[in-house]
Amino acid sequence: MSELLDAIGTLAGSDALYTSAFQLTVLLVFAASGEWVAEKAGTLNISIEGMLLAGAFGSVVGHEWTGSAIVGLVVAAWAGVSVASIQANLSHRLTANQFVVGLALNVLVLGLAAFFANSFDIGPATAAVVRIPVLQDLPLVGTALFARPWPAYLVYPLVPALWWLVYRTRWGLEARSVGEDPQAADVSGIDVNERRRQAIYVTGLTCGIGGAFLVLAQVGSFQTSIVNGRGFVALAAVIFGGWTLRGTILGCGIFGFLEALAFAIPANGYSVDPVILSSTRYVVALLAVLIFATRVRQPRALAQPFVRGLT
Amino acid sequence: MSQLSDIAVSVRSLTKRYGSVTACQDIDLDLVHGSIHGVLGENGAGKSTLMKVLIGLVQPDAGTIEVDGRRVRIDDPATASSLGIGMVHQHFSLVDELRVWENVMLGERERLDALRSRALVVRIGERYGLAVDPDARVGDLTAGQRQRVEIIKCLRRDPGIVIFDEPTSVLTPQESEQLFDVLRVAVEQEGKAVALVSHKLDEIRRATDTVTVLRRGQVVDHGPTDRFDERSLAQAMVGRPVALRGDTAAAVGLTEDLVAVPVPESSSEARPVVLAVNDAVLDRNQHRALDGVTFEVRAGEVVGIAGVEGNGQSDLADVLASLVPLDGGSVMVDGVRVPTGRAGRMTAAGVALIPEDRHDAGCVLDMSVAENLALGALATGPAFRSLDRSAMRRSAERLIEQYGIQTGGPDAPFSSLSGGNQQRVVLARELSSEPKVLVASQPTRGLDVGAIEFMGEKLREAAASGVGVLLISNELEEILLLADRILVMYRGRVIGSMDRADADIERIGLLMGGVTSASTAN
Amino acid sequence: MAQIRTRPGVLMGRTASGDLGITAVLYVVSLGVALAISAGLVAMVGGSASAVFGALLDGSLRSPGAWGLTLTTAAPLLLVAVGTIVATRGGLVNIGQEGQVLMGACFAGYLAVRLGGPGWFVITMSLLFGALGGGLWAGIAAALRSWRDVPEVLTTLLLTFISFPLMTYGLRQQWLIADRDTERVNQINSGEQLPASAKLPDLRVFGNAIDSGFLIALVLAFVLAVLVGRSVLGARIDMLGFNPRAAQRFGVAAKPLSAVVLVGSGATAGAAGAVLLTGGAASDRLVFGFAGNFGWDGLLVALLARGRIAYAIPMAFVFAMLRTGSSFLASTGVDRKMTDVVQALLVLALLVPPAVIFVRNRRRSLRSDEVGVSTPTAAGAA
Repeated sequence: MSELLDAIGTLAGSDALYTSAFQLTVLLVFAASGEWVAEKAGTLNISIEGMLLAGAFGSVVGHEWTGSAIVGLVVAAWAGVSVASIQANLSHRLTANQFVVGLALNVLVLGLAAFFANSFDIGPATAAVVRIPVLQDLPLVGTALFARPWPAYLVYPLVPALWWLVYRTRWGLEARSVGEDPQAADVSGIDVNERRRQAIYVTGLTCGIGGAFLVLAQVGSFQTSIVNGRGFVALAAVIFGGWTLRGTILGCGIFGFLEALAFAIPANGYSVDPVILSSTRYVVALLAVLIFATRVRQPRALAQPFVRGLT
Repeated sequence: MSQLSDIAVSVRSLTKRYGSVTACQDIDLDLVHGSIHGVLGENGAGKSTLMKVLIGLVQPDAGTIEVDGRRVRIDDPATASSLGIGMVHQHFSLVDELRVWENVMLGERERLDALRSRALVVRIGERYGLAVDPDARVGDLTAGQRQRVEIIKCLRRDPGIVIFDEPTSVLTPQESEQLFDVLRVAVEQEGKAVALVSHKLDEIRRATDTVTVLRRGQVVDHGPTDRFDERSLAQAMVGRPVALRGDTAAAVGLTEDLVAVPVPESSSEARPVVLAVNDAVLDRNQHRALDGVTFEVRAGEVVGIAGVEGNGQSDLADVLASLVPLDGGSVMVDGVRVPTGRAGRMTAAGVALIPEDRHDAGCVLDMSVAENLALGALATGPAFRSLDRSAMRRSAERLIEQYGIQTGGPDAPFSSLSGGNQQRVVLARELSSEPKVLVASQPTRGLDVGAIEFMGEKLREAAASGVGVLLISNELEEILLLADRILVMYRGRVIGSMDRADADIERIGLLMGGVTSASTAN
Repeated sequence: MAQIRTRPGVLMGRTASGDLGITAVLYVVSLGVALAISAGLVAMVGGSASAVFGALLDGSLRSPGAWGLTLTTAAPLLLVAVGTIVATRGGLVNIGQEGQVLMGACFAGYLAVRLGGPGWFVITMSLLFGALGGGLWAGIAAALRSWRDVPEVLTTLLLTFISFPLMTYGLRQQWLIADRDTERVNQINSGEQLPASAKLPDLRVFGNAIDSGFLIALVLAFVLAVLVGRSVLGARIDMLGFNPRAAQRFGVAAKPLSAVVLVGSGATAGAAGAVLLTGGAASDRLVFGFAGNFGWDGLLVALLARGRIAYAIPMAFVFAMLRTGSSFLASTGVDRKMTDVVQALLVLALLVPPAVIFVRNRRRSLRSDEVGVSTPTAAGAA
């Protein structure tokens, strides 16, 4: 244990750790902030994992076609939204169980990605690093925050934009109302299932971009195990954050930092068992859910289907 | 008053069928600017279908609608609102978690502007005397305040035609009077056309200028309200001559007649206490739902709990249904303390319950009628034994016969039954368990006059056989009719108690609004 | 946190019943679409759909010994599914079967190579120990749910991701499940080979070797079907799933019963893991990724069975066919991951018809509901 603490102490002074933590956090923020929107509107969206993977795969395909990371990002966003459209229409038009749809979609996307990745040769794909002068020279966090591949910077406008969308627009008001009390929203003339579908599209969009970020700005190529449960960690981050955007981002930061530690400690030659480290993220997520579960309020109609007349 | 003769809405020969059932048949209805029009009828008479047609929630099969002299089609609520038709809903239209101004703006098609919306809420509030804080969370408001928000929400677009759907069901008698004052203001100063939908005679008599009476989907009478007396209105509504006393009077909302009903002699003092609630305290969602409730029910008496909805009555019912544990105090049944919040303990101790929403803790919709009649037996005793379906079916057949339940048989899915018959299944199961205490929480909600009479009869029979009955109801009429003793709940406390013989509507009304005699004296 | 209620009756489509003709058409159409998409994908990579179909049939049924292997493969799927179905009926959303299968396999593997005695004894104890492992793993989720109302849908999922590194850890510790034979090549990261006596015996039928695990799965399916359909316990589980508040009022305490049901579903998943290890559907030593998606697939089988154990048997067989058939795909030049795609498409396709019928019925009954209280019979019979 003391060895572990030593290792953390040493690493805390290295900017590589912060870079890695930032990267991992950004991915979670892309996923969790979109998921937050869907949950505010009443969907516990399990297919987030598939959306991320679809985005990751879409980005390499787009990049492969054109050699352009921008096209990769666009295709990724489209792929994420496509998965979202299946989830949305099956669970909020036909009222099929959202969990079943989500699980099947995760299997489908994983299967499709593996099938195509095995059937075609797909090369690496990366996005250019954009350095912000002066700021990138800040100690410790300079590289982490200000010398990143460009998709990373998308997270800065995304978060306030989602906050504005949910709390300051008519759409957001209606989305929150269908997550809290779909009957009341329905009587007020709001198409409950339409808002819920749209909220899932938002998740698909951010997860698609997140998947592109994962490939273009973090890993550089596609593997089928590239997402590896991080979508579910993003789910936990939303619960950790008590369904507030701020708390969700904080959760992403904590989970991202822990994962960075898990990678950094063995890479730096410390003999902490990597198993302890690679499960940390999930154990912390579990503990976070446990600790915060009863204190905060979830949207009241979370995970409950709406059919008019069915209360 | 200059616009008195302007017809705002004119409905002709409107017909709406649902499958083989005709909800509205050849209905004519006129709403006039500057006038309040009552639409009277019992539950299921077709009132709500008619109003849903007017606000675009339901499409008619035949008939015409004219608004301000133009023939129109109302396809959806948005069309209705663009035609200047608004509705104040009875339930379900407010989201607790949102603020007042957000709720008022919910469903608006324009851009969201918080500052303007807040100002709008304040402005409408001032105009009609409906003061409410635009930034308050709706979940924190009282029932009366919530209804103000509903009305502001309806009036935000300044509709020329306003429909009120059973608006007084959540109000104290005094609040109802205030509401009618607001209606008068809207009608006389602004020439609005108002439709007041109700099943209560005295309300219609007191507040409306003209009235249309519906029965089984048809208009049975209409005319200026002062042409009718209570007897003729009641007869039109129910369809047979009615003695305006007892069950029927309660069902049609006649409180004054009830006060005159002679109270049967009772000597309950001598009887044993079967239910004793002592200083019950319950916290729910960070607010105190029950705040030291104490009362007793004796064998053979009916104790009525009056009060405006949301003052702890349903929490009390939940405690007596073993659904939530008390945070303080105790419940004794027949002299034995019963632990609260423990599955099945109240039922085992002899507390039967007709829940407020039978779909909540009263039944399992997806199971059969026989299974629903046997829920108590299924839930107790050893788990590893085989399900005796034939015995279940036999006892179900007996109860179906005894309680006149209309069903396809014991194996029919419970969800296939009509509301009245579902309620009979609940009643049959609860009474056949030979309880010591029967808790009836809003037992007649949504039922029609016939079913209400049946329910009243059964409750009285239960009391006569020595069961202690606790009747929780928002319908003051029901309480006045059935109860031997009346308690009034306000903000999680019992703030008043009186014998039926001393019951005074004025006083009960004040108590329901939280005014105790002590505070009036001050 | 308020419990996430799932209304199994609604969600699993158990209340949906409708016109047989329309139901049949819907199923034909949606399955047709799923197969058409699959065929399109095969064409995209230059394969032939009929060749793929033929290869799948060869691999799963036609080649010598194939259907025995398919039944053997169906056993763990069915085991996972039956427990999950019971949990679903109780309103619980256990989606962590993959981890529970893995834990079951690890527990069984630990015991099987250590316990001496006659083969039947070792096998029985290993299966029970496997069930214990899966049950304990699901028990964590059950405890968190009872204690703090943490939704099991998330905890079971997270526990699955914790189980992977945990197994890796175990595979490097000789006091746990690592191979104790340090002399063996490739000894790192793998478990000890099970002695032949600890393997489930095969049943020989018409030249096919069927793992006796399949019999175990069938017997368990039968027992659970009786328990669910014919016992008071089954009725209580249904009450809990359909209406937990009514259940609570009449004396079915939600916490203990849902904990039992959740642990029970973990135990059957754990038993599935033990059957995988001691039977013929996977390797006979523990390796990383041992559960091989049997947990996920068993979960899908359960969800498609919509609360009926009897339906799970053909479903498990179809899924097993896709698994065993996929090994023959190499000859067609189509990647074997194709079967995962087909599987997911089938799941989605099978979701659609009951959902459509449900919405249709709901609309219809909604229309009569509005006048339900007003029908003369409701009032008149007084």
